Amino acid sequence: MSDFNILLEPGVFPRLLNGLWVTVWIAGVSVLLSIPVGLVTGWLMTAKSRTIRAIMRVYLDFIRIMPQLALLFIAFYGLARLWNWNLDATGACVLVFVLWGGAELGDLVRGAIQSIPAIQTESAYVLGLTGPQTFARVVLPQAIRRLLPASVNLATRIVKTTSLAVLLGVVELIKVGQQIIDANRFQYPSGTLWIYGVIFLMYFIVCWPLSVVARYLEKEWATA
Amino acid sequence: MTEQQFRGLEVRDLVKKYPKAERNVFDGISFDVPKGQVLVIVGPSGSGKSTLLRTVAGLEPIQGGTIALDGDVLETGKPGTEKAGRSKRPSALRTRIGMVFQSYDLFPNKTVLGNITMAPVLVQKRKKADVEAEAMALLERVGLADRADAKPHELSGGQRQRVAICRALILHPEVLLLDEITAALDPEMVREVLDVVLDLADDGQTMLIVTHEMQFARAVADRIVMIEDGRIVERSTDPDEFFAHPKTERAREFLHTFEFERRRKHEDGEPIREFEDVD
Amino acid sequence: MDWSFIGHYAPFFVTGALMTLTISVFGIALAIVVGAVCAAIETARIPVLRQIVRVYVEISRNTPLLVQLYFLYFGLPKLGFVWSAEACAIIGLAFLGGSYMAEAMRAGVEAVPVVQRENAVMLGFSRLQTVVHVVVPQAASTALPGIVANVIFLIKESSVVSAIALADVMYMTKDLIGMYYSTYESLFLLIVTYLIILLPISIVGSWLERKFNYERL
Repeated sequence: MSDFNILLEPGVFPRLLNGLWVTVWIAGVSVLLSIPVGLVTGWLMTAKSRTIRAIMRVYLDFIRIMPQLALLFIAFYGLARLWNWNLDATGACVLVFVLWGGAELGDLVRGAIQSIPAIQTESAYVLGLTGPQTFARVVLPQAIRRLLPASVNLATRIVKTTSLAVLLGVVELIKVGQQIIDANRFQYPSGTLWIYGVIFLMYFIVCWPLSVVARYLEKEWATA
Repeated sequence: MTEQQFRGLEVRDLVKKYPKAERNVFDGISFDVPKGQVLVIVGPSGSGKSTLLRTVAGLEPIQGGTIALDGDVLETGKPGTEKAGRSKRPSALRTRIGMVFQSYDLFPNKTVLGNITMAPVLVQKRKKADVEAEAMALLERVGLADRADAKPHELSGGQRQRVAICRALILHPEVLLLDEITAALDPEMVREVLDVVLDLADDGQTMLIVTHEMQFARAVADRIVMIEDGRIVERSTDPDEFFAHPKTERAREFLHTFEFERRRKHEDGEPIREFEDVD
Repeated sequence: MDWSFIGHYAPFFVTGALMTLTISVFGIALAIVVGAVCAAIETARIPVLRQIVRVYVEISRNTPLLVQLYFLYFGLPKLGFVWSAEACAIIGLAFLGGSYMAEAMRAGVEAVPVVQRENAVMLGFSRLQTVVHVVVPQAASTALPGIVANVIFLIKESSVVSAIALADVMYMTKDLIGMYYSTYESLFLLIVTYLIILLPISIVGSWLERKFNYERL
């Protein structure tokens, strides 16, 4: 149990932090890129054309029903070959997360817009507001309130899903941990426990504040 | 010498306080509902009418006074119980008092018949066949016999409320408490429910009713009590007299809130109905 | 696309699917039990246990299943707890799933209007009778969509058990791609297998939700 000292070995912690950074970076980029994708998807899902909505529905349902790992495999082994992309593991991860995150976000956007009671837009109409004015001042603020807590939750899920990147070979937090364990196998036989413990803790430290924020937003902005 | 046992509901010196509140909700309220009679409680919102009913029901604790039914003490208030939840009356005592609430929620997973027969079978351990027969008779009485197998969500609010009344009645409560049972209903459905209550009054069901349907109150009541701020402002054993000529200023002001009139009038009292600039 | 390959190797995917389903079924069943216990503790407001449940829920929802599995499979043996890969997978799924189930069930119980309980009181029901005949049926009806969603979610999450060498669908896919370079065929089988597993469950789930939705209009 004194193998706790593996954590104090020079270079271990910095390497772990580096791995954490890779994880956070992948998640962050994915979250940022999925915002425009999500907004466009959401907007398309409220489109007038039935064909567009049907296509969007199929896309959304497929991405949501397939396990993320399966999507990663498809992107990494399949799509890259199909379209001759030079897609490395990290790229495949970001691609999948953006498409998946965008699909989920799009559904949230659609839900938020549709959940605003017609009475709101009707009241705006009766008060003489124009279409764009109604959207900007009535629909958007309320949509954002409904949207944000769930979106922060989605961000948390994306962070957790980046853990799958290790299975594609990406050198992120878990991979780094495994490398450290392997390198110190003889010196610290139960280092496994401590390293995975720290990795566990690091994920928690990143995700938990996001959950807390999401819950706080939900309470603050709860619609009566 | 045998003492004449009072038959009916007796509430004596009821004291109730909410935790952290400055004043008591009730400071020693007393009233009786003789067996077979109907007492109607009226008063402005927030006066404590529903709370009074709920304490009689045992849903809220009291910190002083007694509640007795036919001489049996149901509850004695104890200080320090402000935060206690519902009183822990045994099942047998609870079924002596029935209650119908303002929200006409029935058990959504059971049919109308199932809703009514649940308690007698589970609690009073009566035979299912007998209970079902009685339930059908009750439904017949309120005009819903053909809906016995319907689910609550298929019924209107008024219909659900009538079922709720049957559900309470089948336990043969000695006193029935009705807490603004039509306040949440659409106007067309209020009548069908109140007709049932009038029927019950004619049959001699002892009832304690909170309502703001004034004409109904006048018709159904044998006694009236008006409450404001947790105090009885006026009481009367002659409802017609109370509504026509209330004795206290507060009662008069309260009843006046139900009367409307146009303000601009001619000298003879008729409202002005002709206007110069109208097209 | 080499269709004969697909015909030849489909059985592998069937085996993989069976592994996925086995792990999922046990994991989900255990998760439901854990969830029910946690929800009961939270709604009954039992003092110390309640806080423990809260901590458990926060931890299990803010860490990835993969890390939980690695911890169970590689870490715990160092403390003397050596379990088979299957056991680790089921425990991991139950650990993660339990908190999601607990949240869904708790929401279900809290959605039952207080008036329903008061009605039960006035009708003379005992506490146990109120819980069994009034609270649980209504809570279950409200919680069902959440529970169904969680079931689907957990089956998807089980796709990571290939990481601890369990021969599930993902494992088969990786294996075959590695061995035969049959990327498109393997991916095709991968997609089809998961669709065959998840689509029916989704449909059955929707049917169940509709059947037990007492408010259906």
